Order: sequence, then structure tokens, then C-alpha cells
Amino acid sequence: MNGQYASLLVALPLISAFFVPLIKGLGGRAIKYYLTLITALQAGVAAWVFKTVYTTGKPIIVMAGGWRPPVGIDLYIGHFAALFVLIVALVSFFMAIFSFDSVSTEPTDKYAMLFLLLMLGATGMIATGDIFNLFVFMEITSITAYALTAYNKTGEAAEAAMKYIVLGGIGSSFFLIGIALIYGSTGTLNMAQLAQLAGSINPTVIKVGLSLLVFGLAVEAELFPLNAWAPDAYQAAPHPVTAMFSAFVVKAGLYALARLVYLFSHAAGWDFILKLLVIMATLTVFAAEFSALRQRDVKRMIAYSSISQVGLIALALSVGSQLGVQAGVFHMINHAVVKTLLFLTVGYVGVKVGGTGIENFSGLGRKMPLTAFALTVGALAAVGIPLFNIFWSKVWIIIASIEQGYAWEAGVVLAASVVEAVYYLRLIHTMWFGGWDGIRIRESLPLGTIALFLVLLILAIGVYPNPFWTLAKSAGTDIFNVSRYIANVPLMGVGP
Amino acid sequence: MVSVLKRSLAIITLLIIGYWLAQGLAGVPFGQDRMLVGKYYLENVKAQTGAVNAVTAIVVNYRGFDTLGEVTVLFIASTGVGALLWRRKKKRTAKTEGSVVLRTGSELLFPFILMFGTYIFIHGHLTPGGGFPGGATIATAFLILYMAFVDYEIPHRLFEPLEGLAGMGYVLVGLIGLAIGSYFLFDWIWQTWHWGAANLGRLFSGGFIPVIYTLIGLKVGTELSGIVDSMLTEEVRE
Repeated sequence: MNGQYASLLVALPLISAFFVPLIKGLGGRAIKYYLTLITALQAGVAAWVFKTVYTTGKPIIVMAGGWRPPVGIDLYIGHFAALFVLIVALVSFFMAIFSFDSVSTEPTDKYAMLFLLLMLGATGMIATGDIFNLFVFMEITSITAYALTAYNKTGEAAEAAMKYIVLGGIGSSFFLIGIALIYGSTGTLNMAQLAQLAGSINPTVIKVGLSLLVFGLAVEAELFPLNAWAPDAYQAAPHPVTAMFSAFVVKAGLYALARLVYLFSHAAGWDFILKLLVIMATLTVFAAEFSALRQRDVKRMIAYSSISQVGLIALALSVGSQLGVQAGVFHMINHAVVKTLLFLTVGYVGVKVGGTGIENFSGLGRKMPLTAFALTVGALAAVGIPLFNIFWSKVWIIIASIEQGYAWEAGVVLAASVVEAVYYLRLIHTMWFGGWDGIRIRESLPLGTIALFLVLLILAIGVYPNPFWTLAKSAGTDIFNVSRYIANVPLMGVGP
Repeated sequence: MVSVLKRSLAIITLLIIGYWLAQGLAGVPFGQDRMLVGKYYLENVKAQTGAVNAVTAIVVNYRGFDTLGEVTVLFIASTGVGALLWRRKKKRTAKTEGSVVLRTGSELLFPFILMFGTYIFIHGHLTPGGGFPGGATIATAFLILYMAFVDYEIPHRLFEPLEGLAGMGYVLVGLIGLAIGSYFLFDWIWQTWHWGAANLGRLFSGGFIPVIYTLIGLKVGTELSGIVDSMLTEEVRE
């Protein structure tokens, strides 16, 4: 099949979201089945794209309208994008199934539309090869995220969404000014051509422009000091949406950040941006871990843990070596798997027991054994214990940062892991040794299957990391190797 | 005391950021020939897209993918407002009727405002404007009706499906392009069928631009009216 059909990754969720108003009369359950069907189809398309890219070893360049870049907009579906588009679609599919149990607030039809568009936005951010198109998809992602954060229509949800809107709005405007500065001094918006021209831009302009882009994306990528919205939003959003935030929305922001930073690696003042990012990332890990320690609500605690892991990924991406980027991508994959599992199980407990406070987890090992088991595996993996997947990516991140002379930062990461162990072990202890009220809750079969699948995936990566590490290596090289990126985009010769 | 300190700290930070931004702006070569892609558009726009309005051609044809995204952003805004202000039963609760001038004027002007909005989006490839301002003009017609009459409501059964259909139509035009020209959002009307090649500068030209702008106009019009409706109706309890 023609590679241009990869544009279905964008077209399918879009046309399906527009179709929802026509079937809203069928009722909430039918719409949820529809949502599951569409996300399954999307996963199918993504799997085909993944297979094509990894068997041919060549990226798929989708040219919208048939115009060659930089005249038109291209989607660059390379090794990274192919992998993460698949992750986005799979997580969305799982969360569509989870929505049956966990989302009862009306109006379901609007929920389904926003759900599909959140998936679309993240897919587009990961796939696009045009910096302004990246902005458009970032807007799609963040505006759906605002609406979904407030979806439960409680006071906390409204407050969280308000915080998110204010910070997100500032971030978007920073990003837009950054694009304007860079466009003003190069005359193009195509990422590959920008990378070609990076060396010729005035050093002050590129420094200011790139910092504006970094700060703009840091809101979506949840980097300190622009991540104040995240814990509130994670806690207030419906459970499947929280999992999606953690599994791929933040990843899309991180990827865009890394992609843009490495595209400009020939620009003057690039080291300055990297140093800035390393500092932001280290502070993110540090601040989030210590906040997590104080939480009494498990969902919020895991939200903080997710932010700290995101800081770790950002650190790996910004140490500036190929190994660092590869380790960061490996951690992105592992983090997506583990946090989907954690938010799925915690959300399920929230639905069945009636809240996500730590007291609700007391005696969970006997109340909901399967969920408690999955949650335990997820928690142990998140801490980074050997034989679980995150251990390997953490090791690689530490090696990569020490190799680049960031020993001090690596120390912070290790210390943070100890803090992380404290609160996750506390949770595990409460679940298995806390008092039990004698009630046994029937667990749902589909959700149990998903949870077990994720548990097996965690153990598989933990025991046999090599195939996944190879995958992460090729995806990481896709970000790091800018000259190959430029060579892969069929730029047409427009020039002065 | 603390607030003064806080405020002066904020002002100093703002000054530093402002100075820094100004430094960046000063380095951008304004007014020089930096038109890498811009020049290409200007030289090829008529032959490649059939539109005499270069801005429209860029927005809908060359960078049509962005426009599809912008349409989606507006759709999200309307869906989000609809989701957050959703109530089981909603009714208008306005108390004061508009004045005689407003009521008479709105009834008289309503068809003309609709016509003007339609004119704007149909002629998007010829004159300034296009689907977004045209749709916004149409929405103002409904807004005026809301202001003039206390019990007016838009025909929900028509508008919501129409909004969805218009959006699907846009994606379908793109998918037909994928089927015919093997590129998503490929302008099959102009580049494959060569329709309107003799009509350059007149209404029936511009390839799929008028089609897409009509869809966008309908979508934006129904969407903005829907937002107005969500905000002006309130919950009623049985």
C-alpha cells in the first residue's frame, strides 16, 4: 500500500470525531463501543505504519496536498514517530475500554469527541515535520486536555482546568513568538530546512527564539517551573484521561522539545539551551519526588511520580549525546507502559471502592487481588528494581549522564529513586498488610486482561531488555541524527 | 512590605525578559528579502491552485493541513463549551425583550446578514475573507436574534448534525484527494479535473478552495451559534 495512506492516522480520528454528533441519539453505551472500535482501527493503521517503517528502515514522508516541503506540510513518520504513534493508539484503545467502567458523567458524546481529538493531537505532534503545524497540533492537544480536565464538572476540576488554561496559554504564546522569530530570520517553517539553515541564524535570535520554544513546550512537557498545573489536572481528570496524559500527551511534548533542540544543534548558543534544559530537568525530578512523598491521595502521588519520571526523560534527552537520547526514548516507552498500568489500576480502585485516598487501598490485596497484584508490579517497576523494565532505562540514563560529565545530576536521580522507593513501598505495604473490611469485589475481565498484558510486558522488558533496547536505539537515533533527518525529507529547491 | 518586594521583583523580571526579547527582535532582519517559500507561492499560485487570492491559496491549498487543524481547534472549543455547560434540560431564562428597533431590525436584517456571510465564504478564493469570517458573520445573525427575543433558540436538531457533517465533508474532500491523486488533501478538482481553468478570477475557479470554504463557513457558523446558545441557556429543573 502507498505510504501516503499513513495520513489516515490523522484523517481517521478526525472524521470519526466529526461523526459523533450524528450518532449521539444512540446513547452513551453505543458511543463507547464506537470509541473502542475507532481506537482499535487507529491501532491497526498505526501497526501497519510501524511495520512498514521498521521493515523498510525508511521513514514515511506524508506530503499533504501533494506539495513537496517546504512549500507544503509534510508528516515525518520515522522510527520514533512510528513507534510512538502505535503506543498512542494502543493506550487510547485500552483507555477506551476502561471508559466503560469509569466515565459515567454526561455528555458521553462530547467525551468521545474530545477523547478522539486528544489522541489525534498527540499523534500529529509526534508525526509532523513542520514547526507551525506542530503548534496547531499542540493547540489541539492542549485545548482538548483543558476540556477533559474539567470534564467531571466538580469545583476541583474547574480550578485545575483554569490553572492549566492560564499556564498553557502562556506557553502557547511563547511558542508562537518563538516560531515568529525563527521564521522571520529564515523564511521557512519546515523543520528539515530549518535544520539546514540553523547555522546561519543570528546567534542572539536563535538563543531567544529557541528558549521561547523550549519554555512554550515545557508546559506540555511538565518541566519545572511550568508544571504547577499537572498534579491538579491529573487528579481532577477522569481516570482514563489521566492515564492518557501520563502515557502520551506529555511524551508528545517531550518529543517535540527534543526534536526541536536537536534540529538546531548547529546553531550558535546551543550548549546554553542544553544546560538550561538539564537544570530544569534535574529540578523537576527533585521537586516532584519530594512533593510525592507528602501525598495522601494515591492518584496524586502517582501524578507526582509521573512528573519526576518525565524530568528524568528530559534529563536524558538533554545531556546531548546519542546514548542519552536513546536512553531517554527507552525510558519513555517504559514509562508509558508502567504509568498506564498504574493509573488504570488506581483509577479502577477509585471507581470500585469510591475514592483514591490512601485509606481506600487498605487491604486491597484481599479485596481486589488481581488489581492489587498489577498495582504492586507497576509500583515495583516504577521504583526501578532489577528484573523490571524501568531498571534498565534508569541504568542507561545514569550511564549516559555520567559519560557527558553530569555526575552531580546522576546523583540527584539516584537519590530521587530512594525517595520514590519510600512512597511506593508504603503503598504496597498498605495494600497487602493494611486492615481488610472483609469485602471481596468482583473484578472486570477486560480490564484484568489489559492489566495482565501490561504486567507481562513490564516483566518481558525487564527480563529480555535487548529487543526493546534495540527498538529504543533506532528511535533515539532518529531524533539525534539530524543529518539523516534532513536527507530523508525531499526538500524542493526554493531559495533566494 | 512583602507585596512591594514581590511586585518589584516581578517588575525587574519583566524588564529583563522584555530587554532580552527586544534583543532577539532586533536581530531579525525585517524588511529584507527573506522570502524563501513566500516567493514561490507568489510566482506559482495561479497556475498551481487557480486562485487569484494568494493568501487563501496558501491557507487552504498549500498549507491546507494547518487549516484542517484550525477547524478542529474551533470544533474542540465548541465541544468543550458544550461538555462543560451541559445540563439535562436547558432553557433560555432572559427576562427583558429587546427594544422595538432591535426586534424589527433583526428580523429585517437576518436574511441579509446570512447572505453576506455566505457571500464572504463563497468568494474566499477571490476576495479577502473566507470560511472563518464568513461563518462568524453568519453566527452574528443568530446572536442578534438571541438578543432581540427572549425565547429564541437555534434549531439544535439541524445545527449539531450539520456541524459534524461539514467537518466530515472537509476530511472527505481530503480523502478523495488521497484516492484520486494519492495525496491527502490533494486538490483533485483543479489538478486532476482542471475545472474552471478558463474562469480564472471568476467564481467557478480555484479548485477545491470554494468547496472547502463553504464547508468551513457552515461549520464555523453553526459552531459559533452553538457556543452562543450554550452560554445563553440555563438549567431548568423539572
